[in-house]
Amino acid sequence: MKAQAIKWIKTWEFGLAVLLVLEILVLGAINPTFLNLENLLYSTSDFTHILLAALPLTLIIITAGIDISGVSIMGLASITLGLTWVAGVNIFIALFIALGVGILAGMFNGAFVASTDVNPLVITLGSLFMFAGIAMGLPGLLDALGFKAYGAAGFAAYMYEGISGLPHNFNQIAHGGIGWVPYPLLIVLIFAAFLGIILHKTRFGRYLYLIGVNADAARYSNVPVKSTLVTVYALSGLGAALAGVVLTSYFTSARSDLGKEALLTIITVVVLGGADIYGGKGTIVGTLLAGFFIGFLRQGLLAMGVTSDVVPVVVGGLLVVVVALKLFITTYNQRRLNQQALRISEERR
Amino acid sequence: MAKPVTPPPGRSSQSPNETPLVELKNIWKVFAGVPVLKGINLNLMPGEIHALLGGNGSGKSTTMKILSGLYVPERGEIFLGGEQKVFHSPNEAHKNGIYMVPQEPHIFPHLSVEENLLLGLDMDPRAARAQVKQLAKEIGFESSFSEEAGALSIANQQLLEIIRGLLRKAQILILDEPTSALTFREVENLFKRMRTLSQRGIGIFFISHRLNEVMTISHRISVLREGRIVLAEPTTEVNSEKLVRAMLPADAEMRDMKRKMRDSHDQITDEVVLAVKKLSSDAFQDVSFEVRAGEVVGLAGLVGAGRTEVAEAVVGLDPNARGDVIIKGKDTKKHDSRKSQSLGLVYVPEDRHAHGIFLELPSLYTMTATILDRLGRFLLSRKQEEAVGNDYRQQLSIKMSSLHQIAKTLSGGNQQKVVLAKALASKPDVIILDEPTRGVDASARQDVYHLIEQLAGQGVGILLISSELEEIVDLSDRILVMYQGRIIKETERTGASLQQVMAAAFGLQGEASL
Amino acid sequence: MSRIWRSRELLVFLLLIVLLLAVGLINPNFWRTRSLMHILNSSLILILVSIGEMFVILTRGIDVSVGAILGLSAVILGVALNAGVALPLAVLLALIVSVLAGMVNAVGVTFLRVPPIIMTLGTLGVYRGLMLIITGGSWIETIPTNIKFFANWHVLGVRFFIWVTLVIVILTTFLLRRFKKARYLYAVGDNEEGARLMDIPVKKTLFAAYTLAGLFAGIAAIIFVAQIGFVPMQAGNGQELRAIAADVLGGVNLAGGVGTPLSALVGAIFLTAVDSALVFLKVPGYWNNAVGGAILLAAVYLDYRVRMAVAAQQRQARAAVRKENNHLNPSTSEEQT
Repeated sequence: MKAQAIKWIKTWEFGLAVLLVLEILVLGAINPTFLNLENLLYSTSDFTHILLAALPLTLIIITAGIDISGVSIMGLASITLGLTWVAGVNIFIALFIALGVGILAGMFNGAFVASTDVNPLVITLGSLFMFAGIAMGLPGLLDALGFKAYGAAGFAAYMYEGISGLPHNFNQIAHGGIGWVPYPLLIVLIFAAFLGIILHKTRFGRYLYLIGVNADAARYSNVPVKSTLVTVYALSGLGAALAGVVLTSYFTSARSDLGKEALLTIITVVVLGGADIYGGKGTIVGTLLAGFFIGFLRQGLLAMGVTSDVVPVVVGGLLVVVVALKLFITTYNQRRLNQQALRISEERR
Repeated sequence: MAKPVTPPPGRSSQSPNETPLVELKNIWKVFAGVPVLKGINLNLMPGEIHALLGGNGSGKSTTMKILSGLYVPERGEIFLGGEQKVFHSPNEAHKNGIYMVPQEPHIFPHLSVEENLLLGLDMDPRAARAQVKQLAKEIGFESSFSEEAGALSIANQQLLEIIRGLLRKAQILILDEPTSALTFREVENLFKRMRTLSQRGIGIFFISHRLNEVMTISHRISVLREGRIVLAEPTTEVNSEKLVRAMLPADAEMRDMKRKMRDSHDQITDEVVLAVKKLSSDAFQDVSFEVRAGEVVGLAGLVGAGRTEVAEAVVGLDPNARGDVIIKGKDTKKHDSRKSQSLGLVYVPEDRHAHGIFLELPSLYTMTATILDRLGRFLLSRKQEEAVGNDYRQQLSIKMSSLHQIAKTLSGGNQQKVVLAKALASKPDVIILDEPTRGVDASARQDVYHLIEQLAGQGVGILLISSELEEIVDLSDRILVMYQGRIIKETERTGASLQQVMAAAFGLQGEASL
Repeated sequence: MSRIWRSRELLVFLLLIVLLLAVGLINPNFWRTRSLMHILNSSLILILVSIGEMFVILTRGIDVSVGAILGLSAVILGVALNAGVALPLAVLLALIVSVLAGMVNAVGVTFLRVPPIIMTLGTLGVYRGLMLIITGGSWIETIPTNIKFFANWHVLGVRFFIWVTLVIVILTTFLLRRFKKARYLYAVGDNEEGARLMDIPVKKTLFAAYTLAGLFAGIAAIIFVAQIGFVPMQAGNGQELRAIAADVLGGVNLAGGVGTPLSALVGAIFLTAVDSALVFLKVPGYWNNAVGGAILLAAVYLDYRVRMAVAAQQRQARAAVRKENNHLNPSTSEEQT
């Protein structure tokens, strides 16, 4: 029992949880209003989109892949939602169409990754551009294809300033809540629970680890590698689209460039959460905790009077430091383990 | 019982009695918490060809990697001409006149042959170029210097590596299984070069698992087993029987036991569970054979003969294969390995680490990787999964602290058992075992033999691929021998002697000695 | 000779000609207004960044911070010039900053052994942030005319910066062919393990690659400031992605060891020509990203197919050799069953 507890304390996730609590306490000491639970919960709405994208990305990184196109899918989903609505479709149907577009975009990435040996970074780099470009060009394209926007002078009118005036109940998605729990946080928690079950309790989740640790052995073990990859990238597309929808509601405006700046933060969250860029390691809880940590960190920095320009410097620095630190710990542990084994086998002799 | 495969041939007559070129004393090395070298003592005389024998995982490659600066030992000393040294990098070893030609030559495939030779050399380029020409002539390297190195044959890539070593004024050359990918003629050519070098006073460590080659070329033989030197004698003092006995622990008893078991079972039925007809691909042609329920069919041949390629094609891992594979009467046109599994055929791959096991994950995850769809409906049932794991842990007597022990930290033998459990978990009717005892310790080896018996007894058809001919001869009901992509011999067990099989594996028919 | 015909650079160059001809056929005005010189002039920045990126890709790495380094250097140059620093000194300062920025990446990748994508993604954020901090987030609107002069300065009828870039391309091509230490870049990317075994200083080579990527982004920044005449906060944004696309298009192998400055040159001109053609064909500018992304994806996909085809060919050739070998060996021809 005690050994179990020690093992648990030694986990990365536990360390993160401690770090998160410390962070909240420190920020609270600087500014007591921070400790107000309602404030704290509602302030998460500033960064739920990061988590919505980072959570499924964790699954991809476990397969030793990566998807950097999510930030473009956010904008694509947002503009799809807005344009569909302007075309006269009910906003909630438009919402599902936007999510569908996100899934399709993810499947495109997944199919490309699964059917070639090209580095996923390069593939999603290409699609990062392509999706962002499509999101930008979509209004004009719809006009050119002869679709009719309702009320306005064509879809192109929304190209730069976005689509605002969305229905009130849609805007409630980001601004409403149940009691003290805002809807976006609820969406994050439900999505995290869903992904957590998928990752840790289903054979699909197991396949992700198997592929990430040894894709060849997975193939030799008859793991359906291709369909698993397509599915996991589709999930990432879904997460990014969800983030796009929540952001749209948060800003009460659908824009094609929403979420553009989030890439660095998203990847930092996943890596800080314990996922290994070389595959095979990572948990949903870790990413969730890391997401809150970085989200609050950003707010704390801003509250302390640091300008928002400094934030990417801190986040970028954090990313590098965390990875370097993890590498160091691994090497150190390995060396210690070897010394231990040496002692034991020499004694036995 | 195996007779000496070849008589020791005439060698250069020098008797090494000067001070050794190099001496290793009490070398220890640990990987991932597992000691792989346990106090190695070894030396090399000028002009000596010193053969290192031993199964995979016995520590011979690791020892040489320490000597060449790739690994730093946890304990032990290296004396070079009487002076103590530690090499932290290949560079340091090179500077001290030690050069290793790795099993897979480390060429730069997209650079020219000339650049492959000259890059990294601390020499005046013009002088180096002249020397390269000179050495190439002496060594008999005939390829164009402007060719891309990736286009060279393996034999020429090896010669390229040897020239690299000589350019670095190496006094000690290490050849790590240089012959495994060479044709017969290329091997002869290589040996000629080795003798020339030996006469020049260069010492050579020669790693091989082929007894006849070792007997042909070496002056002295050291046998390693499980990280220790278990035999070290001049080649004239040993015969292959003695070497085999040194490599296989508790040799006699084990063989007797196996013999007894094999004789006791005659449950081979007429049911053909696997039929392969005219199967061809890039690495092999026109391969046909059958495996019946309860039968162990041995597939022998040298590394590179095409055995693994046949196995992968049969199981459906080679999209370029043409021909028929019939599993339990069902023709599998364009099948993949998933379909094979569902029809009852599974494959235990040769390269455990690359294709078999998930090293960084709990061992249980490997054991159940092929049958996850049977464990629970939507959610994985931890209880069912652990039940399967415990079953095989017991059946195969796998030593692990828990089912969740990370596979990397298991010993080689237990890792192999975990991989076997993965294959068995799907309850196959035919199983292809590719080098199932490679890098496996003695007791685990016995367990594997046991398992093969047991499976055959249960009516499972087994295709056993192995480089260890003794294993094939002792365990198989029927033996196929492959040579350069073809099955050139098929024989019932009663008619097979080790020598015949060996001769066939080398492409020689009849009793001709090598 | 046959090697030249098989080269990717030539293929892309031919494609470029076809593209220009096609657009010219659709609208003959294209040839009059968008001469090759014009396209060349507007691709200088991308050419330089792509060559810098190429050094890193040759070693099998990747650097996604080169765009941010470009932006940072541009800001340094702009701020320095506006502060009255003499032009040569300001240029030197910008170059030093870019080299330092590259060195930071190099330290992370070689000494801390952080994966290149993580390291450069991290510094991408850091450099972009620094850029904002230095300027307070506002554009540098006015740049002294002394540097802008160079953008329009013609030497022998050709713009000065085209000469500069040309000289750099020729120089790097020459060095990469002849200079021993430059060949290490190829060796490390082709077979890192082998390079280490061959006494090649792998760490130093990697270090040089990332530093050079920084330096080339810095040179590009100088041309950027001179050509554009102001420094927007988006300076260099996405330039890393276009550089990678240009390299891959021109035949730089992402798996390391293959590529020349010529690849970067041809790839970058091709991408710029596409942009140019799109504008001319009245495709709105906001489609450039989509087209760029699609071209990158198409390029890597085609590259993959070609590699597979070549591999299949080699396999068959080897199988043929084996068969012949078989045939020559008398002991195997008499089969026994």
